[in-house]
Amino acid sequence: MKNVLQRLLLVVLLTALGGVAAQADELVVYSGRKDTFIKPVIEQFTAETGIKVVLHSAKSTALLNKLRIEADRTVADLYISNDAGNLQTGSKLGLFQPVSTEIAKVIPANLRAGDNTWLGLSARARVLVVNKNAKDIDFIKSVFDLADPRLKDRLAITHSSNESFIAGVTVYMLSEGKEKTTAWLQGMKTNADNKLFSKHSKIVKAVADGKKDVGLVNHYYLYRHLAKYPDAPVRILMPDQGEKGMGVAWNVAGIAMSKYTKKKAMAEKLISFLVSKTGQTTFAGANREYPVREGVSAAAEIPPAGNYHVADVPMSALGTHRIETLDLLDAVGMP
Amino acid sequence: MPLVEAQTLPGPAIPVKLWQALSRRLGWLGVAAGLVVMVAAIPLLFVLYSSSQLSLEGWQALWSQRLPGLLGNTLSLAVLVAVGCFALGVSSAWLVARRRFVGRGLASWLMVLPLTIPTYVFAHIYTTLFEADGWLGRTWLAVFGESVAIPELYNIWGVTFILSLAGFSYVFLLVRTALAHSNPNLEEAARIQGARPWQVFWRVNLPLLRPAIAAGLALVVLHVLSDFGAVSMLRYQTFTLSIYLQMNSRFDYQGAAGLSMVLVMLSLMFLVLERFSRRKQRYYASAQQRLAVLRPATALEQVLIWGWLGLITLFAFGLPLAWMLDWSWQAWQQELIDMTFWGYVSNSLIVAAGAATIAMVCAFPVAFFHTRKRSLLSTSYLQLSSIGFVLPGPVIALGVLSFILAVFAPLYGGLAALLMALVVRFLPLAVQSQEASLQQLTPSIEQAGRSLGAGPLENLRRVILPMIRGGMAGAWVLVFIDALKELPATLILRPTGFDTLPVRIWIEASEEMLELAAPAALMLVVGTLPALWLMMRGEKRLE
Repeated sequence: MKNVLQRLLLVVLLTALGGVAAQADELVVYSGRKDTFIKPVIEQFTAETGIKVVLHSAKSTALLNKLRIEADRTVADLYISNDAGNLQTGSKLGLFQPVSTEIAKVIPANLRAGDNTWLGLSARARVLVVNKNAKDIDFIKSVFDLADPRLKDRLAITHSSNESFIAGVTVYMLSEGKEKTTAWLQGMKTNADNKLFSKHSKIVKAVADGKKDVGLVNHYYLYRHLAKYPDAPVRILMPDQGEKGMGVAWNVAGIAMSKYTKKKAMAEKLISFLVSKTGQTTFAGANREYPVREGVSAAAEIPPAGNYHVADVPMSALGTHRIETLDLLDAVGMP
Repeated sequence: MPLVEAQTLPGPAIPVKLWQALSRRLGWLGVAAGLVVMVAAIPLLFVLYSSSQLSLEGWQALWSQRLPGLLGNTLSLAVLVAVGCFALGVSSAWLVARRRFVGRGLASWLMVLPLTIPTYVFAHIYTTLFEADGWLGRTWLAVFGESVAIPELYNIWGVTFILSLAGFSYVFLLVRTALAHSNPNLEEAARIQGARPWQVFWRVNLPLLRPAIAAGLALVVLHVLSDFGAVSMLRYQTFTLSIYLQMNSRFDYQGAAGLSMVLVMLSLMFLVLERFSRRKQRYYASAQQRLAVLRPATALEQVLIWGWLGLITLFAFGLPLAWMLDWSWQAWQQELIDMTFWGYVSNSLIVAAGAATIAMVCAFPVAFFHTRKRSLLSTSYLQLSSIGFVLPGPVIALGVLSFILAVFAPLYGGLAALLMALVVRFLPLAVQSQEASLQQLTPSIEQAGRSLGAGPLENLRRVILPMIRGGMAGAWVLVFIDALKELPATLILRPTGFDTLPVRIWIEASEEMLELAAPAALMLVVGTLPALWLMMRGEKRLE
């Protein structure tokens, strides 16, 4: 009896140690998107096609590193990231393969890679959140006004290793030039007085509580807060509008197919589901983001995408200019 | 005539000869220790290789732009946390080991329970509690009003606060054990000569406790140097965080490796200094040991003792536990705890127990070899086996990942890579613990066994292992506790879809789903309790 048990244990141990190959009818997705926002659409996909999906969640950047080191040994079929910068970096590293044009063409060209090695799935806008009762904020028309000395100790921003923050800075740098962006960062650094926020949700909360008057966030944090506290005294301010404004910075969450996947057909099935009308509604809707496919409407409470001016920077630039942005942030010593 | 010689030597004989030569020179112990150390040094090789690719300009840029700030940040944090842990750990250990008061057994427990809470959970809980509408934030406002700002944790003092609470238990454990072992005759002699209690403490206890305090603080400092959880949540730039960012936002492995090299040098220097400072000290338990008679505490003393220990407990365990229970209760009510949750629990236990067992076995040859030889070689083995503790988790993970993919590719994808990384990372804990208990093994006991006719193996089995059982169990428990909490390496190396409790805490907490993070944190505490019980039971026998 003991012998049998021992042998059984050994077998279990060996399989566990050696790893089991992924099942033939299973897709493995390395996901940098928050679990709660990706699970609904994945469940919908499995229900519709019978294809099981294993989600391996971690930070987008860490997963990209993993893909890079694993190279052809990877078990990942697909990679999802919250940031176009990461996706473009992966393309540059040659980790992905192009998705067929049939599938890709429903996504506007500026929201996917030039060679279709990644596709945007949902978009977020970098907006300002202001307290309704705050005084002396009417002069704020642009994100660059956040460097105004009048906002000393009234400004809430995240630390500069936040991916959305980096992506925003890249857009401003490409639109308005390095010099202006550097001066802007220095001004914000003074205004924030080294008291930075670890999370966007805390920025919205601080503005709602009147601790700060204005914050720079992704749009959905504002609406997530309002869904919980409908009476919170906060409103959205779309920066850089008007004729001469550079427009609001966008960033996309997106998906890429591993160069080494052995299940290309199945992987493309998942991608085409994600860009389908149903898939888009669920994927973007889970987080109150903008669906990237035209003709699919976003959540009712957020400003419709066509109603404001978006900065004219292709999403792939967020990857190609990422290091430049990081150097800029380092040079300023942005905390 | 080399040709003839080659003919008379059949192929396989060369490795055999080499083996014989090696084992004659070092003994089987030395060879086994060497093998373990080689595996432990793999991440270091990865770092050496990657940093050798760094150009001269790259080094210069690191040297002038990053290093001064990082060195300042990291060293000042290490010193502050060491001071914090010394104050908390030594005071509580002395009280528990030298005074008899109501609930003394409970107090011992309360001082080690903080070990069950990972630093990232501490950081997360305290940032939440110190918010304006958190428990501590509201208390603060009620007491001080709006005029005094609520303390910020996003600075060196906040990180010191968190890491001292999370680490002082190591000092407590080692100092308490040392006090329990130390010969009461010396203290009594000092008292008879008219020394006051504090004089006894400063002039008799403290010098005798130096190895224990040094070992405890060394553990604390190494935890500080390699901590990822608290510094990344509180955004305090130490080497570890900076290396992580270098790797993960710039994809600059060479720069990251360069920084890692500096960190390794720094830590090795510290370890060598620590060993050097107590190189001449030998402490053997005297053959006829008498236990110290604990002085009963007066009523006033009892109040003071519990006031102090209670304050420590409140912040190091009470408040975090209350927070976990509060949010877990809400999760329970929302029926969020389902079968997948218990899957995370069992995954965590399997990984931690596996890593602890392997580490315990692997550490033995290294520790024993050093106790026997105390040679330059054995010392360098000891230092090299500590590598895992000084390298940041993400770097170890990448080193192990690269190694396994290059050498044992078929093993990739399962638990092997994760277990290997955890063993490499926590091997030093096991070695330290075993070495400490091997030091208590008086050479005369071993010699007695041998002179009564026991062979080396029988001696090992019947004399040495039973004597150091406590140290072995201690090694297992220490590794288990840390492996159960480990985050950065687990995030990278876990098999696909294989989530453990720390991974879930990290995912849920980054989504601010507190009601989901709290039950996982609570299960970490519960899961560690049996291991702690094992350790405390081993200690109790000594009293």
